[in-house]
Amino acid sequence: MAHDKRPLSPDLQIYKPQLTSVLSISHRVSGIALSVGTLLLVSWLLAAAAGPQAYSTVQGFMHSWLGLLLMLGWTFSFFFHLCNGIRHLVWDAGYGFELRTIYASGWTVVAASAALTVAAWFSSFVVMG
Amino acid sequence: MPRNFNVSTESRIERGKTWHAPADATRVKSFEIYRYDPDSGQNPRIDTYEVDLNTCGPMVLDALIAIKNEIDPTLTFRRSCREGVCGSCSMNIDGTNWLACTRFISDTMEPATIYPLNHLRVIKDLVPDLTQLFAQYGLIEPWLQTTTPEPEKERLQSPEDRGKLDGFYECILCFCCTSGCPSHWWNGDRFLGPAVLLQSYRWLIDSRDEAAGDRLDDLEDPFRLYRCHTILNCTRTCPKQLNPGKAIAAIKKMIVQRRS
Repeated sequence: MAHDKRPLSPDLQIYKPQLTSVLSISHRVSGIALSVGTLLLVSWLLAAAAGPQAYSTVQGFMHSWLGLLLMLGWTFSFFFHLCNGIRHLVWDAGYGFELRTIYASGWTVVAASAALTVAAWFSSFVVMG
Repeated sequence: MPRNFNVSTESRIERGKTWHAPADATRVKSFEIYRYDPDSGQNPRIDTYEVDLNTCGPMVLDALIAIKNEIDPTLTFRRSCREGVCGSCSMNIDGTNWLACTRFISDTMEPATIYPLNHLRVIKDLVPDLTQLFAQYGLIEPWLQTTTPEPEKERLQSPEDRGKLDGFYECILCFCCTSGCPSHWWNGDRFLGPAVLLQSYRWLIDSRDEAAGDRLDDLEDPFRLYRCHTILNCTRTCPKQLNPGKAIAAIKKMIVQRRS
């Protein structure tokens, strides 16, 4: 049938990325990142329970540039997922749907997650010395 | 993202030809337009048209008509009212969906890119097959439903109750929102999409309608309603500045409220 041969018009390939869709997919990606990051946390706790040698191995990895990068990503994912989760909660209550509000809350979430990430790392460096 | 990323064989878009502006043209603007001719047996392609803006009206639809009249009569698109009330000329302009008749050429990029509405089977050029979308519209039974005996005259509605429909009844069914919704791209066979859900809400809140319970029963489904993940591309793109996202959230709330 000719109908089956008809092309499908492009969607994701040509649709302009914008704050609405980018934050939505970022919410999913940060959720996945958090699940994977939790494994890192569990391995750290397991190592602490297993003994000093295992612990120092994991600590060594955590202090490598890759470990620090993963933790930075995990921290940002945590704060982004938290802030955007609150944004979704407000939507579920039926508020904040005017286009201007959608954009204002979206940029607020981005700024707040960045600020909270910086604050968390800054305070951890202060505490650690 | 590459134009042919993850695209099936028959949908791959090829490079087409360029139609140059006449040598004496002074204000030249390029339009890259999706073309597909079902009779040619060939894949879709992108043709580039150079239009002299001095010979053309101010809107994107004017440019399309100028191309069809003066450059290439085979270019095919839907249009009717040319003033944003019929919903025929909805298409993807510079990456978001809008009506060609209400988008100024001066607000488009250089070159402007024009595709049919997203993720639909293409009949020809900028004309997509809307059968599925109208079938979904039919599914919500978009008419007044009553069980009480008919009054002697018409069913009355107070100005306040009529006012509640403002912002919801004005939909022209251009489907800019539904075809721009990623959830509808992936689950369009079962998810009703923003345009249809907005209309569903319009009947749910009509003070004269008496079928709200049945309507909500039909919507309370993992796919029909709840595949909306509040992405809000719909509210962003609506050329009538309506708010499908808000209407869908209100429906979800109605379902929660009737349980308690």
